[in-house]
Amino acid sequence: MSYEYFVNLFNEMAADYMCLKGNEIDIPTAGKFMNILEKAANQAAEQKMEPVVVAAGWLNKLLEKTVLAQLQDAKEISPLLGEGISLLQDIADGYTKSEKYEGDITGFGKKVSPFIGISIPEQLDITSSSSADTTSEKIEINQEGVKTKASGENDSDKTTPPSSETKIKDESLLRDFVVEGLEYIEQIEINILNLEKYPDDKNYINAIFRPFHSIKGVASFLDLGTIRDLAHKLENLLDKARNGALVVTPSVIDVVLEGADALKALITGVSKQLEGKPQAETDFDLPALSEKIESLEEGKKPPAKIAKIGQIFLEEGYITPEELEKGLQIKEVNPGKKLGETLISEGKLTPKQVSSALRKQSEMAAEVSSIRVDTRKLDDLIDMVGELVINQAMVQQDIKGLTGIDRNLSRDIGQLSRIISSLQRLSTGLRMVPIKQTFQRMSRLVRDLARNSGKSIRVELVGEETEIDRNMVEEIYNPLVHMVRNSVDHGLEMPEERIKQGKPPEGLIRLSAYHRGGNIIIEITDDGKGLDKEKILSRALKSGLVSSEEGLSEQDIYKLIFLPGLSTAEKVTDVSGRGVGMDVVKQAVGRLRGKIEIESKPGSGTTFFVSFPLTMAIIDGMIVKIGAQYYIVPLTAVSQALRPRREDCISVVGSQEMISAMGQLFPLVRLHSLFDIIPEKENPWDATVLIMEADNRRKCFLVDKIIGKAEVVIKNLGGGLGKVKGVSGGAILGDGRVGLILDTEGIFAMSESLL
Amino acid sequence: MEKDIKILVVDDFATMRKVIKNLLKQARFENVVEAEDGVAALRILKSQKIDLIISDWNMPNMTGLDLLKAVRADSDIAQTPFLMVTAEALQENVIAAVKAGVNNYIVKPFTAETLNEKITRILEKIG
Repeated sequence: MSYEYFVNLFNEMAADYMCLKGNEIDIPTAGKFMNILEKAANQAAEQKMEPVVVAAGWLNKLLEKTVLAQLQDAKEISPLLGEGISLLQDIADGYTKSEKYEGDITGFGKKVSPFIGISIPEQLDITSSSSADTTSEKIEINQEGVKTKASGENDSDKTTPPSSETKIKDESLLRDFVVEGLEYIEQIEINILNLEKYPDDKNYINAIFRPFHSIKGVASFLDLGTIRDLAHKLENLLDKARNGALVVTPSVIDVVLEGADALKALITGVSKQLEGKPQAETDFDLPALSEKIESLEEGKKPPAKIAKIGQIFLEEGYITPEELEKGLQIKEVNPGKKLGETLISEGKLTPKQVSSALRKQSEMAAEVSSIRVDTRKLDDLIDMVGELVINQAMVQQDIKGLTGIDRNLSRDIGQLSRIISSLQRLSTGLRMVPIKQTFQRMSRLVRDLARNSGKSIRVELVGEETEIDRNMVEEIYNPLVHMVRNSVDHGLEMPEERIKQGKPPEGLIRLSAYHRGGNIIIEITDDGKGLDKEKILSRALKSGLVSSEEGLSEQDIYKLIFLPGLSTAEKVTDVSGRGVGMDVVKQAVGRLRGKIEIESKPGSGTTFFVSFPLTMAIIDGMIVKIGAQYYIVPLTAVSQALRPRREDCISVVGSQEMISAMGQLFPLVRLHSLFDIIPEKENPWDATVLIMEADNRRKCFLVDKIIGKAEVVIKNLGGGLGKVKGVSGGAILGDGRVGLILDTEGIFAMSESLL
Repeated sequence: MEKDIKILVVDDFATMRKVIKNLLKQARFENVVEAEDGVAALRILKSQKIDLIISDWNMPNMTGLDLLKAVRADSDIAQTPFLMVTAEALQENVIAAVKAGVNNYIVKPFTAETLNEKITRILEKIG
């Protein structure tokens, strides 16, 4: 492009500058100039006209400062601007005449430097040459001149200090703020659940960021400092997430939720004040919350696992549990006082003990550090360790004969297997996360349900630290939601009803989690009316789900609620009562190879016990053999294994073969015909049948024999095979053979499609 | 004395609109219309004569900057003075707004005086 272009651009600027009233630059003109300068600098950079690039950069920076400082030094800056424009005109003229600029721009640079905060070196050496050698240096200068935006100080904040005299004390505004603010927080709560599912979705981050931002804005006008500051902190945190500077981890979500709760309490406090009620003490430790937010912002994990100080007192043996209890009670009465102080003044502790406990507490905080690892890497690691375990077993098998001869070898092998098994424990542990987050989502759900149903409900969480395989967290969510909804909707009574029953008006939902054996057990308890056995039974009879109540135990009757189409709800609410729900739960739990038990007492409540295997990576299986093939059936699906008598095998030509056992008839599934292999034994009375349960139905699988029981590591069949009907995966058995893991439901379906 | 200009206040937070309206009233600007988002604002701008737009930066769907750009791009309303309300004077936001042709910006929280000053200055410049 010709130099004429620059001459025209800068002439235009000069003309605009002359038109300014009193040569004082206004914002629209500044904007126009900035656009022109940017255009000019870009074009000049292409044509290697460094003096233009540098001078335009300075001017641009000068304008930015002017705009941001809201024209504080306008009187001094304005002439400088004029000078800069003339300089640019000179440079453009120079290039038009002789393709270079003979003058010196450092003089101007020195004049602007105090305003734009850049020091201009004595020797810039960019005066005339347009050779490429010195380009890199100049561009650096240019970048400094233009790209210091990031330093982000709010110069102009100072110009509009929130003056306390003009506080808006309009009550109706405060009222509006309370209503709208609470609505906004509700939005936040909804969106944060979405964000939890899709932590990278900028739309969800925005949908949470904006309400905080709006709340902050209004709070700043209404002089609600605490609300403003908290909303501001949360907004900053989310802004970081929005810009990709912060990864949305569960701890971020927790903190934002906690922040939303605190804001809600603060806003409710405002409304209480408006009504003239005394403001209730908030339960929120705001300084601690702020600290958490700030440490997250700095990229640290919140010190979540720090033991409570009282716990440390106990562990160190300074006090007895009774003394701690008493101290806590006293503290409850005097909320301002710390536990340590209370116990010192009670004479239970010395100041030295308190300070040493405090030191211990802060040391624990310092120990919490972590790195982030891609879960796929973890999965691969766990997979490889699984292989290693199997391989180790094979090696051990292979050298069995040698270990008796070589004692060193046998010692080494023993050592190796110990190391490998602790490696396996460790690696499985890596993928474990506390169930806390899932529980908190449940308690939020309960709160929402309570609000909708007009019930008042207290949620108790027990064993939140219990760990569960990360891959299962999503899977258990839906069944838990259904059960919790069921408890709230059908279990708990309305407050009036509860008072009549002599119960506290507030219902209780308790979620607890603990490990037992290789399982995690989750209990969902309500203190409601309990399951109505009669009603369940009559519904089941009416809808033909059962034919008679004979032989049904209490447990059996309760379990009828898991059948599709059975609902004892009197009225259909938006969450339950449509006869779907509990059967979905049963299916989902089954898919996770879990089990559900129910305990219920009329009038005093119901507990669901759900047990899941700790991890989806390992299955407790029964190894069976058909022909030369080994198969693994999930142990949870096997309800019985037996060899039927000849007369128990009912076979009528043209219809389904049946096996009679336990007084019932079960359809027989000949696995060998499904998989097209030749069995050793054709007749059920020579072979073995397994009574399998899935989808609330039971069928018999015909196998040659049972080899044994084993824990196997589940492997998928690999992309090449895709989905194979009736098979859910494969496993390497202890002797190195491969066995296919049977998918009980799939086989049920296959056997039916054959008929 | 009531000042005879019609001001459009754009903010998604109704309480905020009310706050600004109150401040405007204190500064004797009584002729105020409201819009809850950029789309509604543009509809109003197309249908009636507006002398000044006061818009929040942070709004769903269409930000204040988007609205500003839309206004400047529409020859019928391009000349309407535009005052941007921001929560912090975030440098890049302010610069972006200035480049897009904003007439001035104001930082929350502000007083009736500051608001009056900004409006007066904008209107003076327009003449």
